[in-house]
Amino acid sequence: MKLLRVENDRYCFQFGHREKALFEFLLRLYPVIPSAHQTLSKAAARMDENQKLLDEALAEQRKENKQHVEKLLTDPRRFKEKGAGAEMNLSAGEIEWMLQVLNDVRVGNWILLGSPEEQPHFDPKAENAPYVIAMGLASNFQMDLLDALKHNA
Amino acid sequence: MANIAMPEVMPDLERDEKSKPDSANDPGYVVICWNDPVNLMDYVTHVFQTVFAWQRPKAEFHMKQVHNLGKSVLVRESLEKAEHYVHQLQKYSLHATMERDE
Repeated sequence: MKLLRVENDRYCFQFGHREKALFEFLLRLYPVIPSAHQTLSKAAARMDENQKLLDEALAEQRKENKQHVEKLLTDPRRFKEKGAGAEMNLSAGEIEWMLQVLNDVRVGNWILLGSPEEQPHFDPKAENAPYVIAMGLASNFQMDLLDALKHNA
Repeated sequence: MANIAMPEVMPDLERDEKSKPDSANDPGYVVICWNDPVNLMDYVTHVFQTVFAWQRPKAEFHMKQVHNLGKSVLVRESLEKAEHYVHQLQKYSLHATMERDE
């Protein structure tokens, strides 16, 4: 995924065909983090009611992001086929929710791996390989998006 | 002067549960971001910039505190604002909580 240009707050990215397929695959995984995973406070017992409100707010956020993802994946105008790949336009606001989605996939797969302290090694034959791959891919796309925002800062 | 028995007025020693401190404005809560081995350093910096509208050097300072010390106190705020910030940080899947500033 490569930033081609920024025009009128629209970031234009170029994808190779396989890269685009991987990107769409990752987005389809969303959400991965289990609901009610996050706690409002380490002393959460004292804040039961507030915790409930936070859970509801995060669930609503996930629902909104999921709708954004589905809209993006089903909109034929979003990806324009060009040469050996495709181009995709995103606004700065869309990059923000895209970062949230990709990080959910990264953190969620880390949780599925048992939240290891060390970066898991990649072994293509290992049972955990899909989770490790998803984490790595998500971080690559995240870094591309962050670099694009920095480039335009 | 007539010796009139006046009602004895005793100080109110019982806790008045209805008039709790004004927690809506009391900056008695801290928002903390905790270290984890999964969130990318650049990503954490970006989230701090976005959520708190900080300049990059301040966001990086707090990101490094999280990374090196295990946590960083990001802001001291009222209950309501602290909850808002925790929600914003957790939207980005950062490990953030709010605690009473004691």
